[in-house]
Amino acid sequence: MAKGAKLRKEKQSVAVSGESLAQQSSSQNRRWTRGFIIAVVLIYVINKFYIPVAPMQVKVAFNTWLSLTSMGEIMVFILMALGLNIVVGYAGLLDLGYVAFWALGGYVAGWLMSGFFDQVTFKFGGNPAKGLPHGIHLNVFLVLIAGGIFTAIWGVIIGAPTLRLKSDYLALVTLGFGEIIPQFMVNGENIGGFNMTNGSKGINPVDNIKIFGFEFGPFALADKFLLYAALAGMMIFLSLRLRDGRLGRAWLAIREDELAASMMGVPLMRTKLASYAVGATAGGVGGVAFATLIGGVYAERFNFQISIIILSMVVLGGMGNVWGVMLGATLLAWINNTGLVQIGKIFNAATGMNVDFPSFNFLIFGVLLVLMMLFRREGFIPEARVRLIMHEDEFADVSNVTDQIKLEGHHHHESH
Amino acid sequence: MIKSIKIGALAAAGAIALAACSGSSGSSSLVVGTDLPLQGASADASTATNNAVALYLEQQGGKAGSYTVTIKQYDNSTAAKGAWDDAQCAKNAQDHVANAAEVAVMGTYNSGCAKIELPVLNQDPTGPMLMVSHANTNPGLTVAWDPGEPEKFYPSGVRNYARVIPNDIYQGTADAQFAFQDRKVTKCAVLNDTQTYGQGIAKAFADEFAKQGGTVVINEGWDAKQPSYTALFQKIKAAGADCVFFGGIYDNNGGQLMKDSVAVLGDNKTFFKMAPDGFSGYPDLQGMPEGEGLYMSFAGKSLNGMVKAGGNGGKFIADYKTKYGVDPASSYSIYGASAMQIIMKAIAASDGTRKGVNAALLGGSTPVCLTDAESITGVGFCIDPATGDVDKKSVTIQTMTGGAETDLQVWDIK
Repeated sequence: MAKGAKLRKEKQSVAVSGESLAQQSSSQNRRWTRGFIIAVVLIYVINKFYIPVAPMQVKVAFNTWLSLTSMGEIMVFILMALGLNIVVGYAGLLDLGYVAFWALGGYVAGWLMSGFFDQVTFKFGGNPAKGLPHGIHLNVFLVLIAGGIFTAIWGVIIGAPTLRLKSDYLALVTLGFGEIIPQFMVNGENIGGFNMTNGSKGINPVDNIKIFGFEFGPFALADKFLLYAALAGMMIFLSLRLRDGRLGRAWLAIREDELAASMMGVPLMRTKLASYAVGATAGGVGGVAFATLIGGVYAERFNFQISIIILSMVVLGGMGNVWGVMLGATLLAWINNTGLVQIGKIFNAATGMNVDFPSFNFLIFGVLLVLMMLFRREGFIPEARVRLIMHEDEFADVSNVTDQIKLEGHHHHESH
Repeated sequence: MIKSIKIGALAAAGAIALAACSGSSGSSSLVVGTDLPLQGASADASTATNNAVALYLEQQGGKAGSYTVTIKQYDNSTAAKGAWDDAQCAKNAQDHVANAAEVAVMGTYNSGCAKIELPVLNQDPTGPMLMVSHANTNPGLTVAWDPGEPEKFYPSGVRNYARVIPNDIYQGTADAQFAFQDRKVTKCAVLNDTQTYGQGIAKAFADEFAKQGGTVVINEGWDAKQPSYTALFQKIKAAGADCVFFGGIYDNNGGQLMKDSVAVLGDNKTFFKMAPDGFSGYPDLQGMPEGEGLYMSFAGKSLNGMVKAGGNGGKFIADYKTKYGVDPASSYSIYGASAMQIIMKAIAASDGTRKGVNAALLGGSTPVCLTDAESITGVGFCIDPATGDVDKKSVTIQTMTGGAETDLQVWDIK
């Protein structure tokens, strides 16, 4: 009896909150957007104007805990995690080879904004280093666009034959492509006598960014951070808008029930390919951005582990929820490049032990994922829909859940 | 209100000016960064190098001329990769420049990492900042090699890189001369592991072997992921080769390569096989019966060679053992101290600024030298200011005897 009452109560509370889900989500979006913009501007202003004149301790603290290089890296990871979120979170297609798109984007930067192809001398808005005019030197914006288009095409090429597969089989094939493309880059030094990728030596240095006559060299980290944040911001905007649009709703429909979606007239292949192409584009743009961040492209970076880390960002943050994924990407990227090392140092200093934290990276990662799956399967900030479905068994009848979703969809329509 | 803004602006301007001053005028307390992979496969060698550098600095009383020098250690590897990491190298380069007291960098261990850091250090607005490596052997860092090299690493047009060991051209060349002149082989199969180092040294070997009058019958890469190389060695056998050169590192499936080469071509005593320093220092290889009789080489002097020669090198190794209780893990660690020594010499002769330290080593037209009596390795050398390369081009030739790398002779390039 008591249990039944409790369930009823939960049902009611879900129903009550459910009524305002749409408004809630749009006001939530507004709040998060504001938060993101404020955080970015704050980081920029602090680093650009305060840090150069700050006392030594502040400088050191910032550099060890929140260095601009890792901030830039976080923005690139947000961009890529959001790209993968479209494929995995929105359309429900498990992709284990996302690193392939990062690699392709990176090499586009290597090809189009460095002295690598020294057979030619071509400059269009680019910024070749002094006295080294050889190679192709395009403006960074053109390269970003080219990277996006190039990877979108590859997304379609890879997607077309593979997306006919379902679940595990699709995951395996994407895993394969994620291995093949980086391996091709490693071996692409001599393709019929043509050096396409420079093999494991990689392509470096990539040109300094130049925008409207301002050169952002290796030390203009704050300005570069702003560029990466703008790219991440664009992806956030795109993700939010796409989700509410026709295409986004079609993706969600496929994710929930492919058969039902196709019965309702959603063209499966075209919709899936679109998700793959958009996801790939984000990966490509992220690849170009990362190449400009570290000043080069290296084939060895593009390993399977990167695909898994980006996937973890999506799962941990909350599949399908833009803000959750953003949070997941920020957290995991930070832990990876700064957090573990620094926390380890503090732990060792406090306990007098000598534990090499970074080497336990996978253990910590694994435990974290297992805990998440046990206690919060839907991620840090779950998407409303996913939360309802994940807790389906807690409701007495399924019809209630469908009501919720309908309600939510209804509100979405209203808001358009 | 306006007044307070003015005062604020003035204060800010003052602070900026002060900051600028502290960056440009030399202070008496300077920092040298060491930049090494402290995690993964190279961790032992890197720790030993940091130890050797610290020991050398301690022996100097932490002084270079009138300057007090301290060390800051940077790690360019990540645990996840177990090796140097491109993003970490990029970040380290930023950090070197951001650390106002730092005037020079000792490192890196890997040429690939140096290629990322060098252009950044080169564009330092208060520099360029000097980098001296104890282990980078890729020729492209200092001389024409791949397209655009080495100019692309020096966007400011000023050189800021030196190294205390000879580059791969010399080792490959010495190996080829030794093979042709001393071992009298004429038809060589040259293999490489398709990586930066392996390709470089294989190319140097093949070029010199042909120049000497020998024939390179096969010149190709081996795929580190292959389970067997029997077919490759059958091909080499069919081509009538009497020599094989393994250009690469042992980590890239070198064990399988050795086993299959012996199985197809015969043991190393009857069939001449040679490997560069990418194969030295591996207990696996030393313990393997198929490794016996393999000819090896090492750029510079081996640890044993230094101990045997006595002098500064032998003494320093003994001091190291006294202080740390173990022998240094590789001779690169002693070359680390050697790199530190030349940096200290440059600091002593400088005005204490980054620009000054770099100019003291590479700015003049006459090379900066250490005599045999001064040099910590016991072998004097000069740094060519035009390239940053070292002028001592001796290569140690070794053979694997009874499971140990045994010095055979020191080959000076002819």
